[in-house]
Amino acid sequence: MSAEAATPSHWLAYPLGLARRSPTFVVGLGIVLFFLGLALLAPVIAPFNPTQSFSYEVLQAPGGRFFFGSDGNGMDVLSRVIHGSRYAFGIAVPAGLIMVGIGLPLGLLAGYKGGWLDEALLRTLDVLRAFPTIILALAVVAATGQSLVSMVVVIGLLDSPIFARVVRAEVLTLRSSTFVKAAIAVGNPSWRVMWVHILPNAILGATAQLPMRMAWAVRISATLAFIGVGIQAPTPEWGAMIRQGAEYVITGEWWVALFPGLALMTLVLGFNLLGDGLTDLLDPKRRGVGK
Amino acid sequence: MIKSFSKTIMLVIGMWATLAVPVVAQEKTLVMAMSATPKGFDPDIWVPGQIEAAVNLYEGLTRYGTRTGGNGKPEVDPSKIEPHLAESWTVSPDGKTYLFKLKKGVRSPFGNELTSQDIVWTYEKSAVQKRTGQFMRTAARIDKVEAISKYEVRYTLSDANRIFLGALTLHLPAIFDSVEAKKHATPEDPYATKWLALNTAGFGPYHLQTLQGGQQAVFVVNPNYAFKKPYFTRMVWREVPSPATRVALIRTGQVQYAEQIPFQQLTALRADNSVKVESVPGFGGATVRMNPRYPPFDKVKVRQAVAYATDYAAIGEAVFLGQGTRSRSMLNSPIAGAVSAYKYETDYNKAKQLLSEAGYPNGVDVTLEYSTNWWWEEPLVLQMQASMAKAGIRVTPKRIPSTEMLARRTINVWTVPFLTHLTSSFVPDPSYNMFLTAHCRGSSNVNANCDAAMDKLIDASVVERDQKRWLALLEQAQNLQADSATFVETFLPGTHEVFAACMKGYVWKPHNRLVWKDLTCAS
Amino acid sequence: MGETGARIAKFLLVRVAVSVPVILGIVFLTFMLIRVGGQDPVAMLAGPMADEAMLTALRAQLQLDQPLLLQFANYLFRLVQGDLGVSWQGGIPVWGEILHLFPATLELVLLSVGLAALIGVPIGLRAATHPNGWFDQLSRFGSLAGFSMPTYWMGLMAILVFFYILRWAPPPMGRLSMEVVAPTVVTGSLLLDCILAGDWQALGSALAHLALPVACFTLLAAAPMIKQSRAILIEIMNSDYVRYARANGFSKATIRKMALRNAATPLLTFLGMELTSLLAAAALVEYIFSLSGLGQWGLNAILLGDFAVVQGYVLTLALFSVFIFMVIDLIVMLLEPRR
Repeated sequence: MSAEAATPSHWLAYPLGLARRSPTFVVGLGIVLFFLGLALLAPVIAPFNPTQSFSYEVLQAPGGRFFFGSDGNGMDVLSRVIHGSRYAFGIAVPAGLIMVGIGLPLGLLAGYKGGWLDEALLRTLDVLRAFPTIILALAVVAATGQSLVSMVVVIGLLDSPIFARVVRAEVLTLRSSTFVKAAIAVGNPSWRVMWVHILPNAILGATAQLPMRMAWAVRISATLAFIGVGIQAPTPEWGAMIRQGAEYVITGEWWVALFPGLALMTLVLGFNLLGDGLTDLLDPKRRGVGK
Repeated sequence: MIKSFSKTIMLVIGMWATLAVPVVAQEKTLVMAMSATPKGFDPDIWVPGQIEAAVNLYEGLTRYGTRTGGNGKPEVDPSKIEPHLAESWTVSPDGKTYLFKLKKGVRSPFGNELTSQDIVWTYEKSAVQKRTGQFMRTAARIDKVEAISKYEVRYTLSDANRIFLGALTLHLPAIFDSVEAKKHATPEDPYATKWLALNTAGFGPYHLQTLQGGQQAVFVVNPNYAFKKPYFTRMVWREVPSPATRVALIRTGQVQYAEQIPFQQLTALRADNSVKVESVPGFGGATVRMNPRYPPFDKVKVRQAVAYATDYAAIGEAVFLGQGTRSRSMLNSPIAGAVSAYKYETDYNKAKQLLSEAGYPNGVDVTLEYSTNWWWEEPLVLQMQASMAKAGIRVTPKRIPSTEMLARRTINVWTVPFLTHLTSSFVPDPSYNMFLTAHCRGSSNVNANCDAAMDKLIDASVVERDQKRWLALLEQAQNLQADSATFVETFLPGTHEVFAACMKGYVWKPHNRLVWKDLTCAS
Repeated sequence: MGETGARIAKFLLVRVAVSVPVILGIVFLTFMLIRVGGQDPVAMLAGPMADEAMLTALRAQLQLDQPLLLQFANYLFRLVQGDLGVSWQGGIPVWGEILHLFPATLELVLLSVGLAALIGVPIGLRAATHPNGWFDQLSRFGSLAGFSMPTYWMGLMAILVFFYILRWAPPPMGRLSMEVVAPTVVTGSLLLDCILAGDWQALGSALAHLALPVACFTLLAAAPMIKQSRAILIEIMNSDYVRYARANGFSKATIRKMALRNAATPLLTFLGMELTSLLAAAALVEYIFSLSGLGQWGLNAILLGDFAVVQGYVLTLALFSVFIFMVIDLIVMLLEPRR
């Protein structure tokens, strides 16, 4: 089963093959890349400055100057939605990095070494499991000050033990697999086994979790903003926008909440699809790793 | 023939009587969608919802008269003070001693009659609790309260002042049915404060029937109320925390009153035929305050620059949707003696000039802190940020929890350099308002407004009895305040109450809360 | 029977012993967190006419000026005596309010999670038997809606469509219609009390008021159930012993029974986790629909800095979570005697 024999002749064959194997992956990736593009190009493609207030054009319906209408402070909803993707990624990506940075080594060590480290991790997980996450996030953000940074750090920290547990589960499975046992039997030192045999496979298995966690990060930051903590006005963050707009839905100014709501839903959907797709692609059945 | 005829008449009358009696005794209920159930009813201890309930449960010795306003509707006349629970009074020539004759036959829902003992008991209780009731007493310079006979009470003031009679219109210090209250006193709690926190015993039009925390409170009419019987005999106060839900409820007729509706939704509500929006300018002003103890606000030129760099027109449009009245001074009509002292208009060049004269040629960075006490705070702050930038004042908005704001802006704490605040009070008396807001010892002085000259003027106006001299003092004080520029006066947000379309009889009272007894709904 | 009883007793003892430090940790964390921020409820308590002297006096009276650890020790001391303190808004005892409000939240969450399990698990299992088939793809897309929509958003949209526009749902202002008299409180759960009292009209009204919030919440809870049950079953179907059984020629029905039996454990565990995490999310649903449950109260307390209430709220949720995990693990243990 060599890769060379399967080299495609046409440049589109690989992506098309991928699409056939997992359409969810492709759709999810497409959505995420779309919003990423919005985030990166925001200053260029947004028609207005997202925090510029047009004092005389408050709550304008979509159409005319404001394609998505204007909100309660006279700011353009379209520009705010586009810039909002910066904040979505600005929260999801660093939170994800923190999560991996802490969770990966923790999970590896706990799964491989076992012992007191494993116990400590499990106990911490117990505490976190029983602690209502939203409340914890709320309390911490309220306590450490209303800033984006504190929110990102909190979300990343909260996610780490969950990620660590996934990694740990992967490591445990791998540890009892044939090829690892063989590697140990042959005489590899434990650090090498961990580094060469377990780590890459564990990462593969845990990678599918990453987009899900990022989706959760985006959702929880929106919920926190809705309650009123974490984001300072007039930051164009989708959750804060929905908070302001939610009030207007009943009196007919539907656009203030709908567009950021759609954007939020679509991006979270994209992350979830991406994660699902990755799980499909990295399924053990197709990995061909000694099973 | 005659016999059967008279029998028929009797029958008809009898039928009519049996039908009519239940109609007359039928209960009229008003359902209110409120943001939270009241957490307590003792007017001396403020908790959320307390004032909104207490103004309907407890009444004062005096009340404000009414007049016909510009739009033909009745409105409060702050210059007329009429008897209420007191039927008359006399005042000594030096203005320091008042003798009140109480109205006879005023009974509480428990059946006890109002006597001078109740009045004395109230002041004793406030003195022990040392909270809001005590503050009102000090502000009105009440020295002694004595029972002279069963229906006579004598007040001795430390100084003759203009606030006193107006203060007596208030619901605090509340006049309790002390006979009933004393039944719930204990040795550790001789004034039954624990019982009075969660129960009511007064001579007002309504009375608490049940309270289910977090769900609803039900108030019923006081069957012994000494004045005109209210139309609504039962008030159901329902907790509906989400403002959007409250709007949905009033628009569908499920409730007949919805509190704290976001201002920007009022436009849509005004257009809705099933809803009636009553708007009154009131006299509370939305202001931005600067604390002169923190640079750069220690320099008067910087403060004036801020006043010039405010885009008043934009604020009026964006925040108040063209419906607010511009505030012209720290006192506004209908308060007597209000003049147009605040002469600042938008002028960015002047602002920049003043800034560089004060030593900030390249502008300055400041943080504007606000909370969620009033709906206009955040939109106003954002407009300030936008317009200040044009004069080089770079504003960073910062929202802080309301409890933190309350703590930091307290007298003698004063750790907020730049903040939003509503200038208002319960009593439409100019001296009282200035005392609260701009005097160094005033409890609504949130920005360390401590100017010796100002304090002198205010103190003098409180005790000045000559009308002309008094008005001159008021004008002086307002001009002094405007020149010091520690307040940026923007607009009067007004009071907007949202009712079902049938509701009539709403009259705005200076305590700015809904009075239930005036309302009728002929549906 | 005696041996099983002994095992259960041992399990419970060990569990309770292990749970105590966990609960302690949570209580400590909450205590510190809410005091560290800028929240200062003393000003709110002192009232609008207060001055600095009054604030200082109140702070001393409430022992808020003492070192944090000492305050925590005092709190613990009172806690073990059953005193959870009072809410600073009106002096209402926390413990009493929790007992009063918790059943409402439980009602909402249990109904929703129950419905979600009834709907979600079969869908997920069916999807797993034909992976990547049309049913599978459809269910995945459908369930993703539950993952992506914020709870409050769904709630508000539901009110807009089903109450405001269509007038199908009753007004979202409480758990019963205004005209209906509530039955006498026995369990605290409105539905149970209605059934116990035989009051069918009140039961109908209560169910109608719960319809929208439960629907929103069920949608939210069903999504992870579908996904997880699918994942669990797929993994079991691909596991060694199922493959072995297939290779040995067991009938499809037998294999399916085997698989389901093995799926029970991870499914139950997952259900427990969902229940506890949704308990906290219930606060938002309660807020929007004015259901006056514990979450609404706790949420308000967090935003206002009502320390005792927040501590009581978190403690309740934590205790409940620990209890649920204990029950689930006990069931799992009883189902798998060979462990």
